[in-house]
Amino acid sequence: MILANYLTAAALFCIGLYAVLTRRNMIKMVMGLSLMEGSTYLFMLSLAYRGGSTAPVLLGPPPGTSMRALAHGNVADPVLQNFCLTAVVIGVAVTAVFLSVVVRIAQHYRTLDSDRVREMRG
Amino acid sequence: MRPADSGARPEAAEHEPLHRPWLGLLIIAGMAAAMTVAVAGIPREHAPLPAIARYALTIALPKWGLTEPVNEVVYGTRGFDTFGETFLLLAAVISVVLITRSKEPRRGYFGEEAAARRERSESDPAEPDDAAEGAARRAERAEQDERRSAGHAGPPTPDQTPLGSPAPETADAMTVVARTAIRVALPILAVAGLYLVAWGYSPGGGFPGGAVIMGVILLVYAGFGRQRIARVVRPRLLEAIEIAGAMAIIATELLGLPLRGSVSANWLPLAAPQTILSGGVVQLFSASELVEVGTGLTIAVFALLAMGHDWAPDEPPDPAGSGAFGESANSAESAGRSRP
Repeated sequence: MILANYLTAAALFCIGLYAVLTRRNMIKMVMGLSLMEGSTYLFMLSLAYRGGSTAPVLLGPPPGTSMRALAHGNVADPVLQNFCLTAVVIGVAVTAVFLSVVVRIAQHYRTLDSDRVREMRG
Repeated sequence: MRPADSGARPEAAEHEPLHRPWLGLLIIAGMAAAMTVAVAGIPREHAPLPAIARYALTIALPKWGLTEPVNEVVYGTRGFDTFGETFLLLAAVISVVLITRSKEPRRGYFGEEAAARRERSESDPAEPDDAAEGAARRAERAEQDERRSAGHAGPPTPDQTPLGSPAPETADAMTVVARTAIRVALPILAVAGLYLVAWGYSPGGGFPGGAVIMGVILLVYAGFGRQRIARVVRPRLLEAIEIAGAMAIIATELLGLPLRGSVSANWLPLAAPQTILSGGVVQLFSASELVEVGTGLTIAVFALLAMGHDWAPDEPPDPAGSGAFGESANSAESAGRSRP
């Protein structure tokens, strides 16, 4: 029932997007963006899952399987795990940039409310 | 029984106004419907692996000598992708440094405000130095330089505080319990992080290793105060190390072009699988990544922690002289609005 994981990831994405669209506190907007990032990690790792498979490590295969079976696909998808690894690092870096921008906006306008920052109105 | 003054400061979450919640709900409903339709049609857990995944699994051991296909994908098959990601990280770190930096060059991350006062008065003599601002700056300076000031006769390091005395009040060090726990955990954490990079199942793991190194530095900072890390965590030193890591990655990737005919090809001899040098160029790439990620994240975190005043002119003092927090906040907002 990996479909439940997909639907959870979609729900998390929608909750994050709702926070970004409707929250006025800019810290909460950044939190919503982080939630959207987290939903993509869940989605990619769920997409990499294969029923009854093992981790993509070519060492000590579980009883009943051989190295050849491992190398021919009875494992989780290593490429999507690589995507997730990449996405985690980029997510951290992007969140740091967002937060520093938020601190500068808060220092300049003395508010975290995006509706009170004139350049963000609309 | 609720305390009597609980009504005076209500929770922010209860009264936080939303920005067009109905429009947001409408967009989210459409988004949720589209995503549900989309995920219903994508491959499930019994689909065969895609061709690139099977390719990576097949060549990991014979061509790269790696028992871990994820590492082979990160630094081998999709090495160019990781190359791009590294420089995205570098661009993000440079953005954070640019956004958070102060006007004057800084030698350390903390405690430079006092040294910058002369430059500040020269570069912006028109900025009024009113009483409230001056008091705030004095308090900040006193907090930052407490250990160095003549009036304070504390021990030079928190470890020399006698047992039983109250915890340091300036939050520059944790209690002896936390410090002992950090002393025990630190070497284990550092060795585990480096082991992840050097050995593991096979070489690789520069990203998590770099994050662990940043965690070690942050633990020292939280437990022992900024003086203990001041010799290592300096902008000039960290930025030089980070750029050195980035140059090593560029060299690792580009040397494949003249030596083997393609970028990110393996140009080092392969060692036996499950040894420290297996994977050829993978270990070099991963170790450079450790340097780059560890210093990059540390730079970003300390730039954020040490973010100071942005030198925007302060609003003129409120003529009404209202002391209430809400009143002064409103006047600050109106000043923000009227600013060109």
